[in-house]
Amino acid sequence: MDLVTLVVFGSWLAPALGSAFGREVIASAENADKDYDSPFEYDYESLRIGGLVFAVVLFVLGIVLIVTKKCSCSSDKPRPKAPDEETAVPIAQ
Amino acid sequence: MFSLSLCFQVDNSSLTGESEPQSRSPDNTHDNPLETRNVAFFSTNCVEGTARGIVICTGDHTVMGRIATLTSGLETGKTPIAKEIEHFIHIITGVAVFLGVTFFILAIVLGYSWLEAVIFLIGIIVANVPEGLLATVTVCLTLTAKRMAKKNCLVKNLEAVETLGSTSTICSDKTGTLTQNRMTVAHMWFDNQIHEADTTEDQSGASFDKSSVTWLSLARVAGLCNRAQFKAGQDALPILKRDVAGDASESALLKCIELCCGSVRANRDRNKKVAEIPFNSTNKYQLSIHETEDTNDNRYLLVMKGAPERILDCCSTIMVQGKEQPMDEELKESFQNAYMELGGLGERVLGFCHTMLAEDQYPKGFAFDTDDVNFQTDQLCFIGLMSMIDPPRAAVPDAVGKCRSAGIKVIMVTGDHPITAKAIAKGVGIISEGNETVEDIAARLNIPVSQVNPRDAKACVIHGTDLKDLSQDQMDDILRNHTEIVFARTSPQQKLIIVEGCQRLGAIVAVTGDGVNDSPALKKADIGVAMGISGSDVSKQAADMILLDDNFASIVTGVEEGRLIFDNLKKSIAYTLTSNIPEITPFLLFICANIPLPLGTITILCIDLGTDMVPAISLAYETAESDIMKRQPRNPFRDKLVNERLISIAYGQIGMIQAVAGFFAYFVILAENGFLPSKLVGIRLNWDDRSVNDLEDSYGQQWTYEQRKIVEFTCHTAFFVSIVVVQWADVIICKTRRNSVFQQGMRNKILIFGLFEETALAAFLSYCPGMDVALRMYPLKPSWWFCAFPYSFLIFVYDEVRKLLLRRNPGGWVERETYY
Repeated sequence: MDLVTLVVFGSWLAPALGSAFGREVIASAENADKDYDSPFEYDYESLRIGGLVFAVVLFVLGIVLIVTKKCSCSSDKPRPKAPDEETAVPIAQ
Repeated sequence: MFSLSLCFQVDNSSLTGESEPQSRSPDNTHDNPLETRNVAFFSTNCVEGTARGIVICTGDHTVMGRIATLTSGLETGKTPIAKEIEHFIHIITGVAVFLGVTFFILAIVLGYSWLEAVIFLIGIIVANVPEGLLATVTVCLTLTAKRMAKKNCLVKNLEAVETLGSTSTICSDKTGTLTQNRMTVAHMWFDNQIHEADTTEDQSGASFDKSSVTWLSLARVAGLCNRAQFKAGQDALPILKRDVAGDASESALLKCIELCCGSVRANRDRNKKVAEIPFNSTNKYQLSIHETEDTNDNRYLLVMKGAPERILDCCSTIMVQGKEQPMDEELKESFQNAYMELGGLGERVLGFCHTMLAEDQYPKGFAFDTDDVNFQTDQLCFIGLMSMIDPPRAAVPDAVGKCRSAGIKVIMVTGDHPITAKAIAKGVGIISEGNETVEDIAARLNIPVSQVNPRDAKACVIHGTDLKDLSQDQMDDILRNHTEIVFARTSPQQKLIIVEGCQRLGAIVAVTGDGVNDSPALKKADIGVAMGISGSDVSKQAADMILLDDNFASIVTGVEEGRLIFDNLKKSIAYTLTSNIPEITPFLLFICANIPLPLGTITILCIDLGTDMVPAISLAYETAESDIMKRQPRNPFRDKLVNERLISIAYGQIGMIQAVAGFFAYFVILAENGFLPSKLVGIRLNWDDRSVNDLEDSYGQQWTYEQRKIVEFTCHTAFFVSIVVVQWADVIICKTRRNSVFQQGMRNKILIFGLFEETALAAFLSYCPGMDVALRMYPLKPSWWFCAFPYSFLIFVYDEVRKLLLRRNPGGWVERETYY
């Protein structure tokens, strides 16, 4: 009887342990195991989607910036250019 | 060579630059074949007369052919920018080989096998190469060439774009380049006064007082005693642009009269010509007899023009304010003074006179005999003088002034007369007010020329024949000691010698020209500039840059753009080189400290050929930091494109901070995964071993090979993203070398675009599904992006403070050690 239980348990365990990715999802009926593993779970799908959206937004923003003739609105504190480096007082930070 | 000629005149301007037609005759007047009268040259034009002669040279033996052989035989040296890039490559190679060999030896000492050590050596040397730099430099130069093309400056050779910026001497041809190459009436003398005419191309100058009756008579004589006429069908064109059939001086007179007094043809139709004696060199005058338009008056009008002294001899009276007065000594004196003055200006002077032939002696229908003169040619009434010159182009004096204030020396080199050359040089600004030649000083102080101290004369005019006798040292002496030089009557060979002399003194020489006689000099110069519209094809072929609208002022544009691109290339190179250190150091630490590889090859290429390209190119769009046209031209020996200070900043200071940023991200990720830094040192062999599938981390967790590798590649991605983040700060600080970023502003939209695209590309490479299989780049948790932010901020603050110190202490230690 013990041997059968062990074999069943083992056959459950083997495929799970052999997974190629670092997320060891042990399909166990026990809740305790799930709690232990939750720190190791991470939602990479949402991360990818979020990252790609961010990339596309930036890309489009860049193209829009080039195409419009107006002054860019996300520039870094633009100040009027100093006419002469000798007379310009360096703006202290 | 001529055996027979009849009033034969040629225009030698394509060969020597002289705009005046030269008469040719069968007499051998000079030893120099270019000066003698009995030889005419291939490719010059005949303007008048007939001649017969024998061909003495053909093809390559002609003067033209010899110039062509000279030009094609010249080898052009390297452009200044090519030399700079070569110097820069030597520096990079030096650093790469030094690092490579050092670590090769170190690897051997640490116990690696020969093969592994050689692989490390190759890896380090390759990692040192900035792969994207060649593309960046080419794109920067191309952008500048496009900008210059919009301003009508066509650049044939991409590297020549920068050469004008480094130019320290311009040798300019006179005819057609500095001048308009058309004779124009400049001054008139009548009523005992010199009047100035308007010589500008678009009649925008001041006009003179036309109310005097003397002027009307003068205009009448000039219009009637003139065989030039406008070609048919040009009534719609402005007067100055019309084609004229006739020689240069008569065309000038025709256009002047047409502009001032209306249609000359109508005037001629009203005063029909009855007889004429054309100009010949023996008489030195031209004479014609007309019926007057006044039908009640049956007298004939005799008008005459020619060399002033001959005309004066034929005159007994002079017209002043419309009234005839007998000629007295005082008037003759003032005539002589006016003639001297106008001649001294290098202008060609003609005298005019007329008389009404008495009706009783010459009744209507009198048969005037021009071969056997049967009418009076003396006792005429002198009216005035008109003098002509080939005027300078409108934009030239201004352009010469700007070149001067930019520290560039302007030298005139021409084949024309010394007096005309000097006059034009003064008119254009090459010889400035208050500067005198030794002859001027001698004349002013009334001492012989040999007694004048040559050091006092800042300007000098040198004749071609004197040039032949000068040794190299004497030539160098002249070029060094005089700031304003005019070379006159120079042959194409001599123009070449002058250019070589300037180059020997270390100057970078630009030559401007339009004719065939300029082509050897154009080729030899560091940059040759040819006129686009009026230039000959030979000169356009030999030149590196063509001014499409013949506007000399475009040279100033060229200088400005050249200097700007040199500065911007420095910034671009500093930016690109900086990322080399965070690319090399992972490899070095991998070898020495045996940690898992922090940055892989593919990610290095993603930086050099991917994210760094657009920001590096965007630096070419930066505006000038200070007035670049007020600086001296750069010294090609001292002011290099890439110097030790640039390397010190890029590799030694900013690069190091960037490397620390990358390693920080690397250690953070590994620590979050369980591998504390202390565990990592020395772990390399086990880490890279495929058979070890139970590697323990600091917390006792066991890692398989694949799991470890995923973490390693995530670290590569994070290191890559960290480099992108610190390169944001790098591109902002590389925008300026001296000014603060707050002073310069962020108006460079391409740079902001570059920042956005760089980040977008980095995010895409990290998060795109499939990147983990394709490039082994894994998605990063958002917090890991922020690992490099403090270092980015540190770079920005560090460099702003450095530039602040640099501005506050000019010439101090900070500037000497870090201002590139």
